[in-house]
Amino acid sequence: MISSINPSVKAGAILIPGVLLGLMFDIFTPLIYLIFIIIVTFAFSHISIKKWLLIFSPFVLLALGFAWMRMLYTSEAFDSGPVLIQFWHIEITKGAMEVAASLALRSLCFVALSLLFVLTTDSTKFMLSLMQQCKLSPKLTYGVLAGYRFLPTFKHELDVLRQAHRIRGVGRAKGIRGRIQQFRRYSIPLLANAIRKAERVAIAMESKGFTGERERTHYHEMKVTKRDWYFFGTLVGTFFLVVFLSYSLGFLNIFGKDIN
Amino acid sequence: MNMIKQCNSSKLEPLIRVENLSFDYDNLKNPLISDISFSIDHGETVLLMGGSGSGKSTISLCLNGLYPDAVEGFSSGEIYFKGKQTTEFNKGELNQQIGVVFQDPESQFCMITVEDELAFTLENLKTPREEIGLRITKVLEEVGLSDYRNHKIHELSGGQKQKVALASALIQQPSLLILDEPTANLDPVSSIEFITLIRRLKEQHHIAVLIIEHQADDWLALINRVLVLGKNGDIIANGTSEQVFNDQRERLIQEGIFIPKVFMKAKKYITKSCEEISSSTKPCLTVKDLTFKRKGDVILNKVNLSLYEGEFVAITGENGAGKSTLLQLMSGILKPSQGKIEFLGQSFTKWKEQQLRKQMGFVFQNPEHQFITDTVFDEVAFGMTLNNYGEELTSQRTNDLLKHFQLSELKWRNPFSLSGGQKRRLSVATMLDETPDLLLFDEPTFGQDAQTTEELMFFIKHLQEQGTTIVFVTHDMDLVDTYCERVFVLNNQKIKFEGSPSELWEQTQTLKEARLRLPYRIRHQKKAGEPYDFVY
Repeated sequence: MISSINPSVKAGAILIPGVLLGLMFDIFTPLIYLIFIIIVTFAFSHISIKKWLLIFSPFVLLALGFAWMRMLYTSEAFDSGPVLIQFWHIEITKGAMEVAASLALRSLCFVALSLLFVLTTDSTKFMLSLMQQCKLSPKLTYGVLAGYRFLPTFKHELDVLRQAHRIRGVGRAKGIRGRIQQFRRYSIPLLANAIRKAERVAIAMESKGFTGERERTHYHEMKVTKRDWYFFGTLVGTFFLVVFLSYSLGFLNIFGKDIN
Repeated sequence: MNMIKQCNSSKLEPLIRVENLSFDYDNLKNPLISDISFSIDHGETVLLMGGSGSGKSTISLCLNGLYPDAVEGFSSGEIYFKGKQTTEFNKGELNQQIGVVFQDPESQFCMITVEDELAFTLENLKTPREEIGLRITKVLEEVGLSDYRNHKIHELSGGQKQKVALASALIQQPSLLILDEPTANLDPVSSIEFITLIRRLKEQHHIAVLIIEHQADDWLALINRVLVLGKNGDIIANGTSEQVFNDQRERLIQEGIFIPKVFMKAKKYITKSCEEISSSTKPCLTVKDLTFKRKGDVILNKVNLSLYEGEFVAITGENGAGKSTLLQLMSGILKPSQGKIEFLGQSFTKWKEQQLRKQMGFVFQNPEHQFITDTVFDEVAFGMTLNNYGEELTSQRTNDLLKHFQLSELKWRNPFSLSGGQKRRLSVATMLDETPDLLLFDEPTFGQDAQTTEELMFFIKHLQEQGTTIVFVTHDMDLVDTYCERVFVLNNQKIKFEGSPSELWEQTQTLKEARLRLPYRIRHQKKAGEPYDFVY
């Protein structure tokens, strides 16, 4: 299962195809890879389809938005081929359409890859792995973990603050100036409290003998096993396979240049 | 000098010895902690007391070597741990010897699960992996949390969180344990459970304990010695509890320190000060069949209650019983899922927001949440300006209020820069631009020292005499016993008890279910001549 893959290796396996995909301007490559990612997601993890769709679908709209803008304002380099649609002052060429569709598919690939990582990775394990595999400083990783714990309290505090101000009759402030002032009123106590809490946690961590030095033992050893490399190989290898396939079929287009 | 040298080599050297310690955040001209000397012996239990802001917590952080570095403060004097000066220890080394449990259960952990948090401490000490698991098992058994090893810390109750904090201090096997107001945020029964746990651990381990507390009552049985820190940052008392609380009582009261009730001769805790039930039958606020759900969970289920004009009422119950939610519903800032609330004979739905806020006040647990302006004066004047009182009237009424609450001299200060007690007084003052008909308080005396609490109660009593109905959400049964005419106990989404405090003290079962404790007065009467029962 993907949730048991070493998080650092997993991050690598997702980042490499993610970055390289950014260069693929054809439709075929991202489409095939997207299908592959979705298959991997559901075949090798316990993510429920409903939950995945709930998070994924808003991004579909966003991707369509990107594509729409791209289609209307295509740079001249891609604005080639026969005109497909024409209305009012707008002409949409075959080239523009392709670039737009490719952009949408690439965006969705990023989203699918990110979800594959986020939904199968435990934040604590990720930080432990960054420390043990990537030799990141414990100061940074434990800092992130401590901050992560605060997110829910922050929201709760904002709610209380809103209520407290409503009691004082502040809700009646209107207009842009009023809004800015309201923001200022919220931010001071929120910040004051956040700093106070951060200080307390820092003191508590140091009281437990935390010094931030790299030399420390690890209760949960994060190992990199063969399985992790198989996973890495599959994700990255498939990417190159897809690129090769699209090259053979004559679809490949890297950064606007047709490679045939 | 010769004496000291001899002591160094012998076993007479105390565990920790502080010599002429001064500390301040800015400079040492007028230091927060001024030239103090004391020592703690191996296995000794010492109580450190002092008013709010007297620097108690600062001392504890100086002892384990985190201050002055962590805050870029200034200090002078020496601290010796087992005969060695604390500055000679490597970073982190001293922390292994001194475990600390802090006051706030929400902000002393950095990991998600109990196991990881405990492992974090041992990893810092470079404990070999194989040993970590065993030591976690052992310490969890000691504090009674074995079943919670893989639980997430933020899902635990306050009492359990403090036990986790204790476990992560004990797991380093320290020779000194510092408890910095560990029970300040706990409900009464959880707090007693924590103290009992410390007592049991003291019997098993030869460990010195330094307890920092406002209210010493429940700790007395454990304590060998009491240290009291004065307002000027010096130690004003050092001796056994009998010596300190009997011989120097007057001085301590002046300093705003809670004298344990065993040592109080004053009548107020032995006899009840107000038994007369308010004769008014005119309802101020009525709650009918009120149900409230949050994310599908029922928090309150068909609650009915009535408040009458000019009475002083307490709402109590264990942490998470929905007391604060009920108060928020009563103030109209939350909308009920079902049911109806009437204020002064008119349903909430018919009240205009502005008028409602004028006739009803609400004081939040954290006064800072309610501050909206930059000066104390503006803060009090804010409501009046909003209600168009006119400049002259506003300024006159504001000045009167500031004088009444002893804030006149702080008029142009920023509200956030006030002391805890001053902030609390200001937050009450801001609610009084007109004498309200109903004033709601959410845990107003939480974490306050004796002086602040007494001042606050004085002002509140005064308001009640003018006809304002007062509602307190509180855990403090002594407060309920002394001031309240009626009390409601919330438990399992419903009101389980309604009546006078003296009636409540008879309901042993209700008290037990709601995790409440009898007030001192009743415990004192019941147990006169009998050995002191620690829990009930």
